[in-house]
Amino acid sequence: MSGSLLFQSLVLGVLLGGLNALLAAGLTLYFGVMRVVMIAHSAFLILAAYLAWYFNQQTGLDPLLSLFVTVPLFFVVGIGMQRLLITRLRPATLTMMSVLLTFAIALFIEGMIGFVWSGTQRRIQLPYSGSNIEFFGARIAVVKLIAFGLAAVSLALLYVILKKSRFGQALRATIQHPEAAKLVGVKTDRIAGLGFGLGLATAAVGGTALSLDATIYPSLHWHWIGPLMAIIVVGGLGSIPGTAIAAMVLGIGQSLLQVEIGTTWAQTLFYVALFGTLMLRPQGFFGGRLAQRF
Amino acid sequence: MRNASDTETVQRGPKDPKAPKAGAEGPAAPRGGWLTLGRGIRLVAFVACAALILSFPEMAPNPYVLSAGVVVASYACTATAWNFMGGFTGYISLGHAAFFGLGAYGTGLLIRDLSMPSFLAWLVAGAIVVLIAIPVGIAALRVRGASFVIVSISFVLILLLVSQAWKGFTGGSNGLVVPRPFPDMLRPEHHRVFFYLFVALLAAMLLVWWLIDRSRFGTGLKAVREDEDKAQALGVPTRNYKLVAYLISAFFTGLAGGMYALWFGDLDPIFQFSILLGSYMVLMALLGGVRHLYGPLLGAVIVGSALEYFKLEFGDTQLHLVATAVLLGIVVLFTPDGLIPAARDLVRRFGPQDSSIREITAAELLERNREAAGDTPEGDPKEEER
Repeated sequence: MSGSLLFQSLVLGVLLGGLNALLAAGLTLYFGVMRVVMIAHSAFLILAAYLAWYFNQQTGLDPLLSLFVTVPLFFVVGIGMQRLLITRLRPATLTMMSVLLTFAIALFIEGMIGFVWSGTQRRIQLPYSGSNIEFFGARIAVVKLIAFGLAAVSLALLYVILKKSRFGQALRATIQHPEAAKLVGVKTDRIAGLGFGLGLATAAVGGTALSLDATIYPSLHWHWIGPLMAIIVVGGLGSIPGTAIAAMVLGIGQSLLQVEIGTTWAQTLFYVALFGTLMLRPQGFFGGRLAQRF
Repeated sequence: MRNASDTETVQRGPKDPKAPKAGAEGPAAPRGGWLTLGRGIRLVAFVACAALILSFPEMAPNPYVLSAGVVVASYACTATAWNFMGGFTGYISLGHAAFFGLGAYGTGLLIRDLSMPSFLAWLVAGAIVVLIAIPVGIAALRVRGASFVIVSISFVLILLLVSQAWKGFTGGSNGLVVPRPFPDMLRPEHHRVFFYLFVALLAAMLLVWWLIDRSRFGTGLKAVREDEDKAQALGVPTRNYKLVAYLISAFFTGLAGGMYALWFGDLDPIFQFSILLGSYMVLMALLGGVRHLYGPLLGAVIVGSALEYFKLEFGDTQLHLVATAVLLGIVVLFTPDGLIPAARDLVRRFGPQDSSIREITAAELLERNREAAGDTPEGDPKEEER
C-alpha cells in the first residue's frame, strides 16, 4: 500500500468514524437512561435518509434543509416512544423485552418504507455530488466532508448539553444512579423520555448525513445496526467517550482493511472486535461498568 | 416474653415450609377427582391433536397446502429448538437463524463435496453445528441480557457476510443446490414424506424438552431464568448449564435447518442467515408461551399459517414485515407470557378456586413488591412488612 493511498483511507476512516460515533452515541444514550438496546435506531436512521430524499424529490431544495423538520419530529417521536411503549414493559424483564419491542419497531419501519416508497434503491443527485477537495494529496468527496461536519457539530452540541446544562447534569445523574438521582429531586421519568428524544434526534442528523452520499434501500438498516452494536459493546455499554473512541478506532480500521481485503470482509472487523472484547474484557474497553449485568 | 416469642416461631416453623411445597405440586394436586378429570381431558386432547397432525397430509386439498404444512412443521421445529435456550434459561437469542443456516449449508456441502448419503450428512451437519456453537456459546454467555442479544444478532450478520462473500465454497448469492434424497419421488409424495420427517423430529424434541423439564438439570436452568445470581450462590453451575442448554438448542436448530435443506433443495444466504427467521422463532415461542412444552408449537401453527396466508394474499409487498412487527409488538406489550398461560388463567377463573399458594415467578414477585412500594411514599417494601 503506497503512502498516499494509506493517508487517503486514513482520512476516509476518520470521516466514517465521525458518523459512527454520533450514531453510537445515540444508542448509548438509550442504554444509559433506560437500559434499553434500541435495535430500531438504524431503522430510524434509514427513515430519516428516506425523508431527506423525499424532501429533495418533492421540493428540489437541498436535503440538509430537511433537518429542520426531521430533528424536532424524531425528538417528539422518541419521547412518545419512551412514554407510551417502553414504560409499559415490566421492569423485571425490561432489557430483554425492549430488545424485542424495538426490533418490532425496526421491522415496522422497514416494511412501511418498502410499502410507501417501494424496495427500489434511491440516491440523491446534488450539484456538488461529484466534487472533491484535495487535502495533502488525498482526494475527499465534499459530501463526505459535509456528513462528517454535521456529525462533529452534533456530537459537540451533545457534549455541551450533557456537560454544561442543568438538563445534562440531570441526565447524567439518571444514567449513573437512577435511584440516587430520584432522591435528590431529578424527575427521572421525564429525563429518560427527553434522553430518548435526544438519542432519536441523533438518528435524524445521521440519516440526513447518510442520504448525501449513500444509495438507500429499506433493508439497509441491518448493515448499520450490527457495527453500531459492536461499537457500543467494545466501548463499554453506557460510556459515551468509550463509544466515540471505539467508533473512531473501528471506523479507521475498517477503512484501512477495505483497501486490502475488500468491503465485505472488512465489515467483519466489527464482529471480530466484538467477540474479541467479550473474550478479553466483557465489560468493554473504556469504562462501562454496567455492561456485564445487562 | 422470651418463651412466648419462642413458641411462636416454633409454631410457625413447620407451617411455613409446607405452604410453598403444596404450591409447587400444583394447585390441582390436593383434589383427586379434579386431577383425574384434568388428566383425562389432557390425554384426549393429546391424542386428538396428534391424530389431527398425522392425518394432515391426507386432508390437505392440494399440494400447495401440503407444502405450506411442511413449512409450518419446520417452523414448529425451529421454535421448539429455540425454546431449549429461550424458555429454560430466559436468554433470548435473536440469532438462532445462524444455526439453522449452518445446518442447512452443512448438509448441502457435505452431500455436494464429500458425496455423503443424505441423512448421514444431515446428522454430521448437526454435530458440526454443535462444534461451532461451543466457542460462540462460551463467548456469548460471558454476558447477560442485552449484550447476549447483541452477540446473537452479530453472529447471524457475520455468517451472512461470509456466506455471501465466500463464493467458491457456498456459491455466494447464486445459492446452493442440495441434491434431493429421494430423486425419483413426485412432488406431492415428497412433501408428504418430509411432513412426517419434520413431525418425527418435532416429537423427538418435545420428548427431550419434557425429560429436561423434569430433571435436576432443568430445575437448575429454570433457577437461572428466575434469578441467576441466587442460583449461582446456591451452587448451580450456571455457566455450564447455560452452555449445555445452548448446545442442545443449537443442535436441534441445526437439524431442523438440515431437514429444510433436504426438503427445499435450494439455499440462499439471504433466506438462511436472516434475522427475520430468528425473530420468527422468538415470536412463535413467546406467542405460545415459553414456559410450556407445547407453547412454541402452538405459536408456530398460528404465526406460520398467518405468514403463509400473507405470502399468498399480498405476495411480494413488504406488508408481511409490518404484520409480523405489529404481532410481535402486541405479544411483547400485552401477553409476554404467551397464550397458553392466558388461556389457563381464563379456564381457572371458571374452575374451582384454589386456596393454596400459587407458584409465582421472580418477575411477578418484583412487580408486586414494586406495586406495593408505589403505594407508600417510602418506596421500600421491606420497611412496610415490618
